[in-house]
Amino acid sequence: MKVRVAAVGDVHLGEDIRGRYRPRLEGIEQRADVLLLAGDLTRHGTPEEGRIVAEEFRDLRVPVVAVLGNHDYQSDAEDEIIALLRDAGIHVLEDDSMVIPCGEARLGVVGGKGFCGGFAGKCASEFGEPEMKAFVRHTREIADLWHKALKGLDVDHRVVLSHYSPVKDTLAGEPPEIYPFLGSYLLAEAVDAEGADLFVHGHAHAGVEKGVTPGGVRVRNVALPVLRRAYAVYCLGGEDPESC
Amino acid sequence: MSHEAPHSVASHHDAPHYVAARVQRALAEDERTYELGIRVDIRGDQLFLRGQVEGAERRAHVAAVAVENAPGLTVHNEVTVVEVREPGEEETL
Repeated sequence: MKVRVAAVGDVHLGEDIRGRYRPRLEGIEQRADVLLLAGDLTRHGTPEEGRIVAEEFRDLRVPVVAVLGNHDYQSDAEDEIIALLRDAGIHVLEDDSMVIPCGEARLGVVGGKGFCGGFAGKCASEFGEPEMKAFVRHTREIADLWHKALKGLDVDHRVVLSHYSPVKDTLAGEPPEIYPFLGSYLLAEAVDAEGADLFVHGHAHAGVEKGVTPGGVRVRNVALPVLRRAYAVYCLGGEDPESC
Repeated sequence: MSHEAPHSVASHHDAPHYVAARVQRALAEDERTYELGIRVDIRGDQLFLRGQVEGAERRAHVAAVAVENAPGLTVHNEVTVVEVREPGEEETL
């Protein structure tokens, strides 16, 4: 009951690179059962760029599941971008979950853009000014929603899809001073409480691909500048790993 | 009491530390770039840009924004364009 998950993030599509990505997606159905997009699909977050993303990833022969990233919020058009993607048949998670049948297996995907705040012992707290409380609360509320979404999932494999990172491991190469803006341990804590097979994120262009949460969930940073390939493919849960 | 501004004000404002920060902020906030991951280093009168962008046009915009925000410095654009290669081997988890 293996499932092959393709993933990439931070494609930052725009008019100047329209159509460049699509040829790399040819034959994806032979390599993977689903494609996950880990946010920062656009650069300016405009509806025009949202249309380019929709054209680039529509009508693939595998289901496509996306979350937005911070760039996709820049023009306050995130709802319109989400609608454009959905009209093109692309699933968009907003701190919720969906189940995708993959042959005999059922794959559950939970997620949303996530948010930041830092990592255990070196992070912001809900204390002091309202602005600081709101900043940290946003991450905590997202983590709570993911926890609930994971809890309710009755599937064979569970993958969490986020833009922001749950761990420091995959940020290696980024300046340590900006780690608090790249992710939050609250995301990892929520996922570790319920367990998952894989946590996929983007955002950290100078980071590394592989990491693991404190609870042992594998983390993969699939930001395009990290992967330097059209997408990564992760094979989950084959009885015979060699068959993946 | 002197009414002249201290000589040090201008030079402090133009300290390489602040110029680099100004360029980095402009790269993040200027709509021509919106690039958050470009490293900016200043050594003497030389400014170095490092990082990755998705296209050649974006690479040129990064240098243009840096030049505008760092007058008098020579800008070295060492930013590279991300090459999107074929998907490679899958990983079994």
